[in-house]
Amino acid sequence: MNEATNDTDPLLSVESVSKSYGDEQVLSDVSFEMDRSDVTVLMGPSGSGKSTMLRCVNRLTEVDSGEIRLGDMVVTDPSTNVDELRRSVGMVFQDINLFAHLTALLNVTLGLRKVRGMDAETARSLGVEHLERVGLGDQLDSYPGELSGGQKQRVGIARALAMEPELMLFDEPTSALDPELIGEVVEVMRDLAAGGTTMLVVTHEMGFAREAATDAIFLEDGRIVEDGPPEQLFENPQKDRTAQFLERITSMYDS
Amino acid sequence: MAGAERSSAEREDAVVEEWRVLSRLGTIAAVAFWGWLAVRWANNWLLPPGVGVDPNDSFIDPETVRPVSESLAFAVEFLPELADAAWLTIVLTVVGIALGFVIAVPLAVARVYGDSISSTVSLLYTELIRGTPLLAQLFVLYYALNLSQYFRGLPQDGFLPATAVYVALIGFTVNSAAYQGEYIRSALLSVEGDQLTAARAVGLSKLDGIRYVVLPQALRFAIPGWSNELVYLIKYSSLAAFITVPELFKVAQGIASENFAYTGVFTLVALMYLGLVVSASKGMSVVEDRVAIPGLGGGTDR
Repeated sequence: MNEATNDTDPLLSVESVSKSYGDEQVLSDVSFEMDRSDVTVLMGPSGSGKSTMLRCVNRLTEVDSGEIRLGDMVVTDPSTNVDELRRSVGMVFQDINLFAHLTALLNVTLGLRKVRGMDAETARSLGVEHLERVGLGDQLDSYPGELSGGQKQRVGIARALAMEPELMLFDEPTSALDPELIGEVVEVMRDLAAGGTTMLVVTHEMGFAREAATDAIFLEDGRIVEDGPPEQLFENPQKDRTAQFLERITSMYDS
Repeated sequence: MAGAERSSAEREDAVVEEWRVLSRLGTIAAVAFWGWLAVRWANNWLLPPGVGVDPNDSFIDPETVRPVSESLAFAVEFLPELADAAWLTIVLTVVGIALGFVIAVPLAVARVYGDSISSTVSLLYTELIRGTPLLAQLFVLYYALNLSQYFRGLPQDGFLPATAVYVALIGFTVNSAAYQGEYIRSALLSVEGDQLTAARAVGLSKLDGIRYVVLPQALRFAIPGWSNELVYLIKYSSLAAFITVPELFKVAQGIASENFAYTGVFTLVALMYLGLVVSASKGMSVVEDRVAIPGLGGGTDR
């Protein structure tokens, strides 16, 4: 955290964000920053507030206190236009949530046409381009019900990516997938990271975190327990809790 | 073992064959029924007088029916009038369903996604309409509010023979909207909530998310309930008789009492309603199959 930063402002800054549902404190005093092309991994046991943190960034959830900035937009300012904000933030869901009545291509082009106002032809060529990028150029006209979980999630990534967001949010993108389908999704995410996409990722995929992440944050009970470069966090955790947690998921995922 | 298998396979073949024959018979009956209606209507309203067949020709010789039933043979002579009246029954049903649908969608969306005011208004409307008899609603519109006075300037012959038709159309629209709204509401609720979240995350406004993502799915889910409403409305349209609309039931009642021929006339009328209802539900299941999407609920396996 004390690293010397460039003069340029961070792309995303999260400052002292707190959020509670009734008596339950989901996030307390969470702060972190991301520069362009950073890949930040959020880890932590279930219920630690990772997904809530993610949803605060595109305001699917409103914070109680604290401030989130994306570029020059103050996300947490109630007067900020949410639709405009969400144009700059892509999101990939654990449950994938493809539009069930639309083909892969139309899933990708709906936002292009109705949000970015493209004509059908331009949207189509951009949609095809993004589906090819995630290796699904041959499934343009397949409905979600005809795709495997891994293919669906890749369409989900293409759908978010096609909007050309400044920041991509991944909410446990592989947790709902069969183990043998995880690889294809992680591979796409790795490519994105290598290509300079700014990504905030909730995941327990240690392989991805180790290879692709620039930062890792360990959350528990809504607080940041520890954060830092992944090699430091994984190889030499400073807190017992972090070490315990990492040991558990490592033995679970590497088995 | 092998023998048992073959016999069960043969039985299956027999069932399939039987079904094929039935479905062919159904098609023939449908073509005959609708062909007959279409020819009658074209003859009465589209062709100039003197061209086409005799307006009083029923197309069916009473003598062929007489061995089956004396009263049917008598009633057959009134088929031309009944065919004309069936036109009004269809108009009342189709227009009532269509206009009702236009009102039902916002009613349902208001109930599920609206703020407290719009959802309360929608709830009150729905309960008021569903909680009172359709006949009472028609009486209020026709006798108490005397709505037909506003329709005097509109055409009153041929296709739409009375101002009361317009009043009945309003009544059926208002009534059907409440019922269709409920079908659509439950369909909206069966669309996964995360679909709208995903639409919002892409940057669509709430209304656009409902329009482009939730409704296209919900309306597919609503088709079975919707075809139920269509079938009801075909039969409920007979209530228009009580506000003087000369639809199928009203005309049949007139003929029957004038000639004291209840059995034959109402048997024919029942068959015509049956033809309309079966056609409607078959039509809706065709629609359901046509718009079915792989992996999305609704539609039948083919």
